[in-house]
Amino acid sequence: MDRAKRVFSSKQLVTLVWLIGLVVVWEIVASVVQQTKRTPEYVLPHIYQIVDSVFSQNLVNGSQTASQVVLTHAGITLARAGIGFLIGSAIGFVLALLMHMFLPVEKIAFPYLMLIQMIPILGMAPIVLAITKDIDKSRIVIAAILTFYPVATNTLAGFKAVEKEKLELMYSIAASKKDIYRKLLIPSSIPYFFTGLKISAPMAITASILVDTLQGGGGLGCMLSQSLKHAMSIYVFWQIVFFSAIIGILSFYLMSLVERLVSPHTKVRR
Amino acid sequence: MLLARKAIKEYGKDIASETEEFSAGIVIKNLSVLFPDKNGGEPVEALRNINLEIKPGEFVSLVGPSGCGKTTLLRTIADLQQPTTGSISIGGLTPREVRLQQKFGIVFQNPVLYEWRTVRRNVCMPMEIMGIPKPERTRRVTQMLELVGLYHFGKKHPHELSGGMQQRVGIARALALRPKILLMDEPFSALDEFTKEKLHLDLQRIWSKTQKTIIFVTHSIQEAVFLSDKVVVLSPHPGRVSAVVEIDLPRPRGLEIKDTAEFNALVSRVRNSFEGV
Repeated sequence: MDRAKRVFSSKQLVTLVWLIGLVVVWEIVASVVQQTKRTPEYVLPHIYQIVDSVFSQNLVNGSQTASQVVLTHAGITLARAGIGFLIGSAIGFVLALLMHMFLPVEKIAFPYLMLIQMIPILGMAPIVLAITKDIDKSRIVIAAILTFYPVATNTLAGFKAVEKEKLELMYSIAASKKDIYRKLLIPSSIPYFFTGLKISAPMAITASILVDTLQGGGGLGCMLSQSLKHAMSIYVFWQIVFFSAIIGILSFYLMSLVERLVSPHTKVRR
Repeated sequence: MLLARKAIKEYGKDIASETEEFSAGIVIKNLSVLFPDKNGGEPVEALRNINLEIKPGEFVSLVGPSGCGKTTLLRTIADLQQPTTGSISIGGLTPREVRLQQKFGIVFQNPVLYEWRTVRRNVCMPMEIMGIPKPERTRRVTQMLELVGLYHFGKKHPHELSGGMQQRVGIARALALRPKILLMDEPFSALDEFTKEKLHLDLQRIWSKTQKTIIFVTHSIQEAVFLSDKVVVLSPHPGRVSAVVEIDLPRPRGLEIKDTAEFNALVSRVRNSFEGV
């Protein structure tokens, strides 16, 4: 009885139910589409068709199969997303530090940070491309821009969430500002910093894919639009959709894993 | 238990061998603390005209109901709160000078441990800031953990310990930096009666071996009478000293002293000193 209760209330079960539900809904809609549309695979193919295409040996662009196309171009996109993510996280952390150390910096910088965040990437990307004149650099820049804001705000919240008594303890032993940051504020902001990373990791990937679509230089986004424009099999598109969704989710879990390795004993107190 | 006694004895010897001349007597003159009202109304009078003298090595309790300013008084002595008028002199120095010379040890109501550090590294933390060399730090941490009976828990993290154990880590941390004055703000109020009584005995033993000046804030009259040389009774609205009761019970005091007529007479005297509660 107890065991059954445990199984039914477990997180894995919830995930499983969601997954099954999603597949069922997908398949129902796909069957309807199959009956009513002339080119159903452009609207919603069956899942088995997509899986089939992953293992299919048919060449889609003269030299590569659909899954080979996805994997080679994923490398380009993800590497740029990763570099942008690392740069953005570093900037975000340093910015949070500066905003906390110097109140005027927070007062001056914060409204602009929010402003940058409110510009849609679709609008920002062509401008960045025009400035950098290089699709690779724009991918990195856009990924960094999207990353730094969640990291900066969350880390700043982490600095501010330190209990007053912990700060007073430092004060009572006449700790220097450097020691207060090194031994108290930075370690206790780590869980918040990682919350920022978890939010921005999938965003950096999305941004990088989006920037790809701007120019024909390769990358997942580029293949996505080519596939949509009938330049190659539509299943490349569907594979990219699934692939990027999975990578996005994995990036989140990767951050959780890194967090557990970096600070196994830091509880998030919220 | 034996380990703890040995550690307390060693700690006492270490303290006695310190050559620094500093008399940790405290003189408080006409001290008032006002808290400005946030909505622009009348400021709240937390403490009014406090006059108090604490001898070096004395164990003094500040006792009173909530809102009587006992914590404010402790915080003002610790330089965590600035006096509005009046002065505090600690061995001829201001609280700020004493703080900058790192002579205070503070134990808060909550353990205030750094949850990402092990027990050992928590006790070590203030000594790192004070720039004490590593071998000495290691020696002192071991001594302190033996003293509070947590030697075998050094590698654990705070969340793996019970509340009483966490509080003992906080005490070890405060003692490790060899403070001249130990300030304790309701350190045992969150603990169960058994743990509390044990810690009372330990604290008394540590105090008698080291002869530190201890200022102990509590709302428990029994606790104050059991531990102290002197109980300062504070009354609220505004916070003021209603009475100072000298506790002349013989030391060392065992738990059985709580059943004696003398003890209960003193408890009644403290209780009857409150005004306007």
